[in-house]
Amino acid sequence: MSSADPVEIFRVEAQELLEQIEQGLLDLSHTPGDKELVAAVFRALHTLKGSGAMFGFDALAGFTHHCETAFDRVRKGEVVATPDLVAAVLNAMDHMRALAEGRPCDAHVGDALLVELERVVAAAGGAPTAMPAAVASAAPAPGDADQGAGLKTWRVVFTLAQDVLINGTRPLPMLDELRDLGECRIRAITDAIPPLEALTPTHCHLGWEVEVTTDQPRSAIEDVFMFVIDDMTLDITEIGREADPAVEAPPAAPAASVPPQPTTAATPEPEIASAANGDAKAGRADASVRVPAQRLDELMDRVGELVIAQSRLKQIAGASQDMNLRSVAEEIEHLASELRDSMMSVRMVPVAQLFSRFRRLIHDLSRDTGKEIDLITEGETTELDKTVIERLADPLIHLIRNSADHGLESPEERLAAGKPAAGRIILAARQAGAEVVITVKDDGRGVNRDRVRAKAEENGLLAPGAVISDAELLQMIFQPGFSTAAKVTNLSGRGVGMDVVKRTIEGLRGSLELSSPAGEGSQVALRIPLTLAIIDGLLVRVGPERYVIPLSAVEECLELTPEQDARSTGRSVLTIRDQLVPFMRLRSMFNTKAPPDAYQKIVVVSTGGERVGLVVDQILGDHQTVIKPLSVFHSEVGAFSGATILGDGGVALILDVGHLTSEAALSDPSPLRAAS
Amino acid sequence: MTQHTTLFDNGAVDVLTFDLDGEVFAIEATLVQEVVDKAPETSVPGAPAFVDAVINFRGRIIPLADLRLAFSLDAHDASLDSRIIVIAQEIEGETTLIGLRADKVYEVTTLNEAATEAPPRIGLRWRQDFVQCLAKRDDDIIVVPDLAAIFAARGQPRAGATVIPL
Amino acid sequence: MPSILTVDDSASIRQTIKIALSSEGYSVAEAVDGADGVKKADAGAYDLIVTDLNMPIMDGLTMIRELRKKPAHAGTPILFLTTESDADMKAQAKAAGATGWLTKPFDPDQLVKVVNKVLAR
Repeated sequence: MSSADPVEIFRVEAQELLEQIEQGLLDLSHTPGDKELVAAVFRALHTLKGSGAMFGFDALAGFTHHCETAFDRVRKGEVVATPDLVAAVLNAMDHMRALAEGRPCDAHVGDALLVELERVVAAAGGAPTAMPAAVASAAPAPGDADQGAGLKTWRVVFTLAQDVLINGTRPLPMLDELRDLGECRIRAITDAIPPLEALTPTHCHLGWEVEVTTDQPRSAIEDVFMFVIDDMTLDITEIGREADPAVEAPPAAPAASVPPQPTTAATPEPEIASAANGDAKAGRADASVRVPAQRLDELMDRVGELVIAQSRLKQIAGASQDMNLRSVAEEIEHLASELRDSMMSVRMVPVAQLFSRFRRLIHDLSRDTGKEIDLITEGETTELDKTVIERLADPLIHLIRNSADHGLESPEERLAAGKPAAGRIILAARQAGAEVVITVKDDGRGVNRDRVRAKAEENGLLAPGAVISDAELLQMIFQPGFSTAAKVTNLSGRGVGMDVVKRTIEGLRGSLELSSPAGEGSQVALRIPLTLAIIDGLLVRVGPERYVIPLSAVEECLELTPEQDARSTGRSVLTIRDQLVPFMRLRSMFNTKAPPDAYQKIVVVSTGGERVGLVVDQILGDHQTVIKPLSVFHSEVGAFSGATILGDGGVALILDVGHLTSEAALSDPSPLRAAS
Repeated sequence: MTQHTTLFDNGAVDVLTFDLDGEVFAIEATLVQEVVDKAPETSVPGAPAFVDAVINFRGRIIPLADLRLAFSLDAHDASLDSRIIVIAQEIEGETTLIGLRADKVYEVTTLNEAATEAPPRIGLRWRQDFVQCLAKRDDDIIVVPDLAAIFAARGQPRAGATVIPL
Repeated sequence: MPSILTVDDSASIRQTIKIALSSEGYSVAEAVDGADGVKKADAGAYDLIVTDLNMPIMDGLTMIRELRKKPAHAGTPILFLTTESDADMKAQAKAAGATGWLTKPFDPDQLVKVVNKVLAR
């Protein structure tokens, strides 16, 4: 399975490490003296380099090595973490990302970045380090040269340090290794063993003399002792060769490390492993488990099917007289509901994960536009379904770019207008009922109504001179083909228009709203439903058909008295506890032929501050609703946001409350007509 | 009018034939997932008349399309012979399951390209782009509808497009 | 069959070590940092521990020292992963009580060789 492939795991890890490094650097640019931050950044660079080399990402390892070295020097206090130093490494982030993803990279870019890094390190107080060569292979151990043909006999006399046993070294395997080289005669040297009273059992008091006949080179014998060679006495003499010195000093610091073999490397492929993580804490050693997103989806499907089956069980049990059956059915309903909630929370991820990406964006935007921009985030702990978060990234980036590019003024303009030089962009998230509301607000110049109007007329979206409300004018911005930028700037004009943002949000069954009161900059509010798959619903009947109303939107249920009913059809208004609440007859909207029930009910729903009472024939009760999407033919019908399968196999359409409330607000609820 | 040369493979294609208001239609057998007896229908208020209901097909909610409307044919009350043919059709890039109403389903049979011809430009009482080709079998004419075109148009026969048949 | 504990904050490294050693017939358990390593070592009985030095929460050196304080782990071979150029680190690790080392980047076959060597297999 791909998830067990270390290279794939590394790809994901690399992204997380780069993220950590970037966040650390951004934090460091605010508090350069923070030693913990320096250590953390160093650690991440070190891991990235080491693992990169392990899995064949040599260019990445080589490049990161230099950044790591620079940070090591900061860590040791040789060099100060100046803003320039931090900026130099930050600039290198994109290059490192490209290397980690296996994208084609310009070596010149990399070289230029390293030259800049070196310059900055020198300026920060350190003499430029000689750029160490990338991981060098060990020099061949002396003695390999005389890998002559034929057998030689060596006398190997050695004693180990006293405490080797405590360190887990075992002499017996060493002797075995010598035996593997060839025929051996082994004699233990017991001279150093102290009397019993002085004997420490955990100390090694023995030495050995081994005569081994082998065709292997001398280095093979030294290799046996590679881990202990610095703390032992070792004599290796070739027996039977004249003119050999009687004692050979142990070879001075032989390459005690194992010569690295060429790493078997999988060529990094250009595709990026999808972030397979439901846990937002990248790289932190929490008790967390990484799960491929696809498995979560499958699990979600299973839970959905369980909920449907449980609905059927509930129906059957409800009609049955068997008390045991009924109590078990109730218990299963309870369990299914809890399982559903657990599943939901597994997929929920704090938006902080999304927001943190934007800090870097603001940094770059600030640099590119020459404007000072402060990014303020609120409600980072607000959680959203993981898949939703991914799809929000691009729209939010576009909105932020828009604010930076068009909304915020230059520092001079701002000062002239009496505002602080630095523009503010506020990114906030909060939960409101069954929705999450994310707002992007800037304190810039706001929406220029005249320019919007001009552009709308120019693009034929508006007849010149036509009278429309301010809200409708602002809505023009979301029409396809609309753009007020005099020129398409690099930053926000990449074919990702506001209309795409709107469609993406609506694709998530959400909505967005632009507001720009005079003198208050502009704000875009995105409303996204919390869950995509299962909701608690209220099942109602209108005529022969059944419908589901999301329970989170339901405020209360009332009876429609015959007097109220006797009033004319069309839009009517109720008084509920001194408040006027409009009500709509769903049977009129749905063109229901069957005669109404004697006593109808009103379900009062609300979204976004608007309330409306929906008149139905009967309220059937709660229903755990697995949302099934409607085909393209029916998704165009705004009144319904999906459908569900009921316990008896029948289908109930799910009402889109937002659509209905805005219908009620705008006009008489005429029978729904198909768009022709 | 595009002649769908991809319809025929080596000059022949297997089709499922069925009846709508006395006219015989045929669609590629490979499109057909299943033929279902009448199923409880849930109407969708506000949907185009062409797809005015949905049904539960194996746990999935699929639209019910009425080709009769696309060809201005009369609807008949459900009878014992009524069926729903479930097909898998690509709509706007996504493979979608759709149920087609049928008054009666006949059989799977082979159509030979040699026995077919393109719909005539005049004299046809239907939208020309809704018909892929016409096939002759014995004395009958079998209509092979262009489902992609019909779905794209949401089954709307052009208002006032009727030409008196010769 | 001998059991081995691999301690590293990098999942990809742990996975590589696990694959290499299990195919040799060793059973391999994992820990994600020094503290987790001490916990798991105390809870299990491992014939060998392979550890990285550079980890959050508790680094490798500290972990080795902690383990060596306990009689249960005296004599358990501990291998650490080190970069080529770090002679200083090697000395420190040995002083802390490590048995041997592997240089990064390491070839999985090399790992197996060294482990076999240390465990006398």
